[in-house]
Amino acid sequence: MRYFFSRVAQSLVIISGITVSVFFMLRFTAGDPARIRGNIYATNEVLEEYRRQFGTDRTVAEQFYSFIKGVIRGNLGDSFRYQQPVTELVLPALRNTMLLGFMALLISITFAIILGTMSARNPNGLVARASGVIAVFGQSAPLFWVGLLLINIFALKLGWLPSGGLTDWKNLVLPSMTLALSILPSQMRVLAASVKAEMDEDYVRTAHAFGLSSKKVYFIHVLRNACLPLLTVIGNDMGVLLGGSIVAEVVFNFPGIGTLALVGLNARDYPLLQGVTIVAASTFVLINLIVDLLYTVMNPRVRLGISK
Amino acid sequence: MRDLIRESTLLFFSSLSVAIICIVAIFGPFFAPDPLEQDIINSLLPPFSQGHIFGTDPLGRDIFSRIVSGARVSLIVSLLGMIGSLTVGTIMGLVSGARNQWIAWGSDRLIDIQMAFPYILLAIVIVSATTASIPVLIFLMVLAGWASAARVIRSIVLSEQPKDYVKAASLVGATQKRILVKYIGPTLIPAIFTIAPLQASAMIVMEATLSFLGLGVQPPTPSWGGMLLEGKIYLSEAWWLTTIPGIAIAITCASLIGVGEGLSIKLRGDRSRRIDPSKTENSSLKGSAKL
Repeated sequence: MRYFFSRVAQSLVIISGITVSVFFMLRFTAGDPARIRGNIYATNEVLEEYRRQFGTDRTVAEQFYSFIKGVIRGNLGDSFRYQQPVTELVLPALRNTMLLGFMALLISITFAIILGTMSARNPNGLVARASGVIAVFGQSAPLFWVGLLLINIFALKLGWLPSGGLTDWKNLVLPSMTLALSILPSQMRVLAASVKAEMDEDYVRTAHAFGLSSKKVYFIHVLRNACLPLLTVIGNDMGVLLGGSIVAEVVFNFPGIGTLALVGLNARDYPLLQGVTIVAASTFVLINLIVDLLYTVMNPRVRLGISK
Repeated sequence: MRDLIRESTLLFFSSLSVAIICIVAIFGPFFAPDPLEQDIINSLLPPFSQGHIFGTDPLGRDIFSRIVSGARVSLIVSLLGMIGSLTVGTIMGLVSGARNQWIAWGSDRLIDIQMAFPYILLAIVIVSATTASIPVLIFLMVLAGWASAARVIRSIVLSEQPKDYVKAASLVGATQKRILVKYIGPTLIPAIFTIAPLQASAMIVMEATLSFLGLGVQPPTPSWGGMLLEGKIYLSEAWWLTTIPGIAIAITCASLIGVGEGLSIKLRGDRSRRIDPSKTENSSLKGSAKL
């Protein structure tokens, strides 16, 4: 329980640290959003009007005060570019991104378990070799390039799947496959290694001695224990997953957090960028927290505080 | 014995391939045609056209020359990013392995935050706060890459701390700083050499990704990621614009990963033959450079 509270407190510290630093980084170094909003012939009066509208004519301290006051009430301000509350823009985008990430995770875990299992049981077999090739490819080919290749093959040449956007479940197939390939190698490796290690444990021999079929031993006993390290890897992969989904969104024109962040970047839309960063970081920290807690639930050694 | 040969062949061929890529990147631009020379009449020629082995881009620029001089840009940027991130990562790893609880706690959290936060988002914020340029790109790469190196180094430092030679040094009166730098420091060198190629490969992917998002190397300077960005619009008419730079990246990264794997297998093998087969801290190297 104490562990739980300290983890939650830590997460809050991280989120507020990121929030504050993003705010000041943008205020002190970025260009003038009014100048980007107005056309190049805009007179000073027009620019002043924009600044008043955006609230960037106030001092940084005043802006920070009203920003923090808004954040506490769950209001992230209005987007400069879209003229509507940032939360209305960010939350649907976040939902899409999470959908994409979740699909990718599902695909990669499924494949990791299937391929990892098969290659651990028969290290010299065809599957083991093939998954080795997949792992190297997934690690060395940049995600966006894989995305472009898939678009080229499945959308342009074969015409089976749409190349971008989000109107239908079909739109999710290519981006989530792309994303899955980028996190698959580490998961597959870890799973294969831990399956191999678990197979040598005494309890496996005992289970065999009791007359359990090797399938039963594997799926009921070995796989459950072998999945623990996988959970850690998945926790670590969250950053890769979110970062990767941003890239995949750009390739596939997918309406998610990443696309929104790039729009915010080009328009110097402070509230939008802040909103995206804060929401993404919070989601992220929250997911990590859940993975950590899940780990303690699944692993009694951690739960009971026994070290080693 | 056969395994040993196989391990060495991996190291040999991947090193050879890295060496060839480096030589091409260094000397190629002197021989290939100008990568910036436009030739609108011969635009979008497919590969194996006359005079253009990899074809041309929408402005009629020779893809082969662009790949070769892009290799130079990409490799230099990645090399600097690798050196920077390894330096910062090693220092932070040493610090977080220190005995002082507060310092260790602080740097641990810093590593966690860095690992936790998606670097692309960070890159977008930083680029919007400054402008996209090569120094900023290198800074971003260091920022994104140091934490994974720090994590590996920390795990090694922590496994060295309880050993007798460290205790002996501290009994003799060596300060914590001296122990970290003079005593534990040298034990990190093999690990650093093993992470370096993996880190370099991660940096190449990162350079390409950032340039692809328009946050890295800016046109007209050719870089592999930038070429992919330019080719994206012509995906349906000219597949080679995106396919060829991607293959260049994949081959380079695969060779670098091969070198890293080969080195790590070799080091582990040497160690296990010598005395201590139970120590497998190298296993933590796996996947460390996956960013």
